[in-house]
Amino acid sequence: MKMKILAVSIIASVSAVMASPMVLADYSASNEIKVLQGFKPGGGSDTLAQLTQPYLKELLGVDFVNEYIPGATGAIAWTRLTKQSPKDGGTISITNTPMLMTNYIMNDSITYSIDELTPIANVVTDPGIIVVPSDSPYQTVEDLFQAAEENPGTVTIGNSGVGGDDFFSTIIVEQATGLAFKKVPFQGDGPSATAAMGGKIDASFNNLGNVYGHIQSGSLRALAVFTKERLEMLPDVPTLREKDIDVVAGSSRGYSAPAGIPDEARQELIAAFETLKQDQEFQAVARERALNLDIVTGDDYQQMMKDMEDQYGVIWNEVKEEVSG
Amino acid sequence: MDTSLVLTGLSNVVTLTNISLILGGTLLGLFVGAMPGLSATMALALLLPLTFSMDPATGLSMLASLYVGASYGGSIAAILLRTPGTPAAAATVLDGFPLSQQGHAGKALGISLFASFFGGLMSGVALLTAAPLLGVMVLKFGPVELFAIAVLGITIIGSLSQGSVISGLLSGALGLLVSTIGMDLTTGTPRMAFGNINLFSGIEFTVALIGLFSIPQALTLIEHSHGAGKVASKITDRLIPRFREITQLMPNILRSGCIGIATGLIPGTGGDTASWFAYNESKRFAKDKSRYGKGEIAGVAAPEAANNAVVGGALIPTIALGIPGSSSTAILLGALMVQGILPGPNLLTDYGDVTYTLIWAVIFANVGLLLVGLLFTKACVSVTKVPDAFVACAIITLCIIGAFAINNSLFEVGLMLGFGLFGYWLNKAGVSPAPMVIGLILGPVMETSFQQSMLIGNDSYTVFLESPIAVVLLCIAALSVLQATPIFRWVQVSCRRRIKQS
Repeated sequence: MKMKILAVSIIASVSAVMASPMVLADYSASNEIKVLQGFKPGGGSDTLAQLTQPYLKELLGVDFVNEYIPGATGAIAWTRLTKQSPKDGGTISITNTPMLMTNYIMNDSITYSIDELTPIANVVTDPGIIVVPSDSPYQTVEDLFQAAEENPGTVTIGNSGVGGDDFFSTIIVEQATGLAFKKVPFQGDGPSATAAMGGKIDASFNNLGNVYGHIQSGSLRALAVFTKERLEMLPDVPTLREKDIDVVAGSSRGYSAPAGIPDEARQELIAAFETLKQDQEFQAVARERALNLDIVTGDDYQQMMKDMEDQYGVIWNEVKEEVSG
Repeated sequence: MDTSLVLTGLSNVVTLTNISLILGGTLLGLFVGAMPGLSATMALALLLPLTFSMDPATGLSMLASLYVGASYGGSIAAILLRTPGTPAAAATVLDGFPLSQQGHAGKALGISLFASFFGGLMSGVALLTAAPLLGVMVLKFGPVELFAIAVLGITIIGSLSQGSVISGLLSGALGLLVSTIGMDLTTGTPRMAFGNINLFSGIEFTVALIGLFSIPQALTLIEHSHGAGKVASKITDRLIPRFREITQLMPNILRSGCIGIATGLIPGTGGDTASWFAYNESKRFAKDKSRYGKGEIAGVAAPEAANNAVVGGALIPTIALGIPGSSSTAILLGALMVQGILPGPNLLTDYGDVTYTLIWAVIFANVGLLLVGLLFTKACVSVTKVPDAFVACAIITLCIIGAFAINNSLFEVGLMLGFGLFGYWLNKAGVSPAPMVIGLILGPVMETSFQQSMLIGNDSYTVFLESPIAVVLLCIAALSVLQATPIFRWVQVSCRRRIKQS
């Protein structure tokens, strides 16, 4: 029975593929779009690709081919995209911000920059969040900050690694409040959340998607989120903005092409994402996979990158000496 | 534990479709595991999109059986070609390859298969019965405890150095040194990368592993290929081990299985670490240590039982807490998320039917492994009938494909060949590459957890004495080092003398 369903679904998807080019406008630049991924298959970027590309394929009438080139937190893939890929619109990449910019802000050996990109669209943003162990004495974000005020530099805060969004949001909070935390880097959001659950650190600056299940089950407590407004999923958790700390941060993923692709191709790609923004089914699937949609296209996406580049560049210059000390 | 959920899980697995997919998954895992460079993690990631359209029970059964199959498959190439198919099979090379050189390839593979089966079965049962209890333990392991584990692991180097201890320590130190290449965790600055961004993430140790073990073997085969004798192994003896052999190995398998489950439980350590731990303990408890490294069947059984036991062990925190115990289980967790199941401690309650399906699939996959292994392993004979020079070329080809496949990087192919030539020279100089691999595996764990511990403990070394788990582990490590020094032998001898006198 299950095999039969499987067979039917294969036939259905095959016929959908064959039918789609006939009913929809073809992508002008190429018959196939190669997507460079800077991370391993199965990770966050791949999750985005698996969600988005089946829809894009139908909208643009082209096949998507993923190429995984992990290493140097994405920098190998992005260097390849900007310096060595054809600028015909046939090659694009999943761009993770702020990692995309902090890579070259922090390391002189990484030579690409966002000026060598044609930003197409941001798709998801996983908002930043502060979580503490369930048995933590800190009930509110004020409790946590007060502890840091009483004992400067001893409250331990986990982050996903130097250069990641959580690392930078910790610094932004420090600068806004004048407090000093003990920043403990982990290799990714998962280990940082685990250490918080075990009470090994006082708090973890993390991302919603990684900790939502643990918050629901009560093994972690959320103190604050780094969004403009309170989240629908966590209506009782305040934003830092409510506490007069202007931090809106998260880990975002979208698509970019190399600079100098044909304008027609750029417009077609942007139009496809604009269509996705209205697609109810797409939104439902994203919600099911706990992905927080944040579709920002074209010039707006470019502005989003530029703002981040400025902001994080300034922060890094201020803390560079202290971190590499 | 909710019995009805357990039974629902069982009935979900026992359907014709799922059983045949489990057999298929195991077979696929066996092939993938046998290919050097293709690890279980990679295979899981590549198969994952295929399972999106399946229902949760079917998709998870297939992924779990692939994972189990790959854990055994790695030993086939390790035993026949001296090329570990997966990083977890590196320890199997030490005694597995000598056995096949002596004409006991069948015996070695058979022992490996049965040890894998028992190890995997043990961990499956542990998963079914103790997941909620053991899961809570995991949170006790933070950076401080991980550092203690890494220190304990490093002491293995002493007992692994075949021949001279000095050359073993040298090889281990080299491994630790090479492991420091790449981004510094706390400062974000690349070290020893020479401005080459390919080195920013450090050296992928699978690349080093393939080079160090396989290329020297291929070169040695070519060196000897003009002679009439055939060095590569044939399976001439029976595959199914004698009942007596199995019963004799049982204590060893049980011990190694427990080591595997425990190592799998701890996030950040996996099959690669577990197999070395088990090998070392097996040698420590053996009456005749001198046979290790020359073709001791216990030296095959221990790492294989351990690396298959890791599968269940690593799934325990994944299922009980939503924390992946290894990179492979992180992908399985991803598979659950795609099915709309968010990671967290409610996996055993709210999503119990799917979770127990996964657990039963692991148990059934181990039974499937035994069947598929018995049928398929014999087919490996054909591989070994090929003349040495061709085998050597095939090994080098597989190594190049494997090194490229890890990150789609040509740079890493060059790196692998570099390690290969270095390993060849090490072999000629009589230095074993095994301690170097341990250094490469444990170096990053040790460094990262040390830096994190110092941050958490406000730069005070006493942080390591505040954790009882860390203290116990560090004491074992100290004993393990002392055991290798002359002082310990002197104490031992004088104790024995005193006992005899009284």
